[in-house]
Amino acid sequence: MRKILSSPNGVAGVILLAIVMIAALLGPWIAPYDPQLFHSQNRLEGPSLDHWLGTDQYGRDLLSRILNGAPATVLFGLGATALGVGVGSIIGVIAGVAGGRADGVIMRILDGMLAMPELLFTLLIVTFLGGGTLQALLAVAVAFTPGMARIARSSVLSVRTREYVLAARARGESRAWIVVREVLPNAIGPIIVEATIRVSFAIMIGATLGFLGLGAQPPSTEWGLMVSEARQFMFRNPWGVIIPGIAIAMTAMGFNLFGDALRDAFDPKRSH
Amino acid sequence: MSFLTLKRRHVLIGMAATAALPNLSFAQSSGPVSGGTLKISHSTRIATLNPLILSGPAEYPCIDMIYSRLTRIGFDSQPQPDLAESWEASPDATEFTFHLREGVTFHDGSPLTADDVVATYEAILNPDVPSSATSVLDMIESVEAVDDLTVRFSLAAPFADFPYSTAHSNACIISRAALGDLTALETQANGTGPFKLETYDSARIVRMVKNEDYFVEGRPYLDAVEMMLFPDLAAETANFLSGATDVMLTVQQADYERIAASAGIEAQRVNSGRYVCVVMRQDAEPWNDVRVRRAFSMAVDRQLMVDIILEGLGRPAYDSIVAPELEYATEKPEISYDPEGARALLAEAGYPDGLSLTLVASDRPAIRSQTAIVMQQTAAAAGFDLEIETMPHDTYLANVWMQGPFYIGYWGMQPTIDATYNLLLTSDAAYQDSEWKNDAFDALIEAGRSTTDEAERARIYSEAQALELEDRPYIVPFFEDVLTASSTETHNWQVAPISRYFYIENVWLDG
Repeated sequence: MRKILSSPNGVAGVILLAIVMIAALLGPWIAPYDPQLFHSQNRLEGPSLDHWLGTDQYGRDLLSRILNGAPATVLFGLGATALGVGVGSIIGVIAGVAGGRADGVIMRILDGMLAMPELLFTLLIVTFLGGGTLQALLAVAVAFTPGMARIARSSVLSVRTREYVLAARARGESRAWIVVREVLPNAIGPIIVEATIRVSFAIMIGATLGFLGLGAQPPSTEWGLMVSEARQFMFRNPWGVIIPGIAIAMTAMGFNLFGDALRDAFDPKRSH
Repeated sequence: MSFLTLKRRHVLIGMAATAALPNLSFAQSSGPVSGGTLKISHSTRIATLNPLILSGPAEYPCIDMIYSRLTRIGFDSQPQPDLAESWEASPDATEFTFHLREGVTFHDGSPLTADDVVATYEAILNPDVPSSATSVLDMIESVEAVDDLTVRFSLAAPFADFPYSTAHSNACIISRAALGDLTALETQANGTGPFKLETYDSARIVRMVKNEDYFVEGRPYLDAVEMMLFPDLAAETANFLSGATDVMLTVQQADYERIAASAGIEAQRVNSGRYVCVVMRQDAEPWNDVRVRRAFSMAVDRQLMVDIILEGLGRPAYDSIVAPELEYATEKPEISYDPEGARALLAEAGYPDGLSLTLVASDRPAIRSQTAIVMQQTAAAAGFDLEIETMPHDTYLANVWMQGPFYIGYWGMQPTIDATYNLLLTSDAAYQDSEWKNDAFDALIEAGRSTTDEAERARIYSEAQALELEDRPYIVPFFEDVLTASSTETHNWQVAPISRYFYIENVWLDG
């Protein structure tokens, strides 16, 4: 942790993440108003004392909506990443450990999937599965899988020929034991770093899908959806677009900077 | 603001006049000028040009330009002569004779005869040919060509509104030859209208050019009309405001004020009978109890909806699908927002603790989910705990529409009270989705069809509307205005309240 805090990027990341996490954990309870409540006399207003971040087209309080949408947005990012990283890592480790022909077949298939840009691939899956939060989450997870598998595999490959693995093999340990006790603990670092950075991508893709109408549906407080709904009123109250936009950017940046700092901390070569 | 451009134009005209004297008389004549290409922007795809079945908001102006009908609804909501110069009805309203114009030709040069009219109506009545006009024309028993220019319709039952039915937007007259290939109708067109189809590209542009042989002397003024698709509303608005397009077919409520205030733009707001309704299927609990329906009706804040959803560009409606513009429409008593009263009525109906329900709204157009969101808020105080389920339009059409117990419907305006009721509320209506079946109501609508006596019809329809209000088959919260805009260089651009008739042959552009 001290290593992370030693770089300005890391500090910024930790602060941003802390804000987002507080919002995600406590948001719905500290919101000043019901996020769905209309204040029809104060529609499309900028920040004021009553409404710190202004109101949307129905006169709903933007601060309350942002806070209310925080858990869903962060959970979406974490959930999609966890699923994608989990499945990807398992595939990658299997390929890396098995080697030879199995490795070749698995990796060529994944390379094929990697050839398609992540967002396009996600859109394709969502079109296939239909819109909705859960579908969007699955789509992001699936899109993340090939890339994660690749990283997990390379990480395993670099560990596989180390002396302690050879020693374990010479001791006659079983293959499963070697994977679980020797390979995984030493290969997990890069995977965790990559996963942290990917959370920010997951949140951005989730917001993109919400914006395109393929993720969460009204009256949800998902941030991408909020931007999309407010877009029509952009010329009358730009805050409706700016506020959720900043929220998405803060969250994505927080995870990204934190992930970068985490990587530096894990990498001895960069830690001087 | 448009005042400013007018001045600027006058200055330009003045400058041109000093530069060249002969221009003076030309510039000052304010009459229509021929020539020019009118560019109309729209945001919904023109997916087909088949006049028998199309129903898209941007598809209607296309067939209104390409084809003609026997009659056409004017801006006064009355049927006007189109291909038929005149018509007469037998006193009992069972036989109608239409006299066609002489010398009308299709775009390919072949003459229009009574036989083409017969062929068109036979296709519309043919159960194997999908056709949207069937529901208002199915009382036709036979149609025959008396001579080359006379068509006679015999009706199975008296139907006084028949000239409205022949003006149905999908009752375009197609040549007998063209009807032989229904798939070709989707992309090709051979009509008798003021414009001929030149390019059809459903993803980009539909271009129509002047029909030099149009049957109205001196029309159209324009050389060509281009229907340009802008899937993105912001892009459409930006193009229109910058002058890249001349007409914006539909303006969104949120943008109306801004567009109307822009220089060189004339925005129009037309009161219309387009409405959102709440479908409450009445063959099951809780909606089979009229008290629950009435309670929900009182739990809807109509003025708030007009203010928030329509930005004030509409009128509150009071649970009748009959627009005030229609003939025989009665004045509806105001229903005020009364959550306490609604709660009391709910308790009386056996729901003292309120009701928890799921209200389904399709995601297109956005007005459906907006209505649901506002209803959720206002109905909460009355004991209705609504959960909103928004879903893609296709899923909605497949799984909820005409089946679900509680959802948001959205309908355009119909030309007559008879067509309005026969679309949704009579027992055998084309889209009867409320399961509200009332014999007395059916009998009244039947009686209204069969008499030509104005006073008698007024009495019958006022009774039918009273019955509708008594039973509340639908909650109708508001009527939406039709919004459109054109540049000040565009003259005579108008949209009829029913937004199916445009009379673009009368539009002209400053030279």
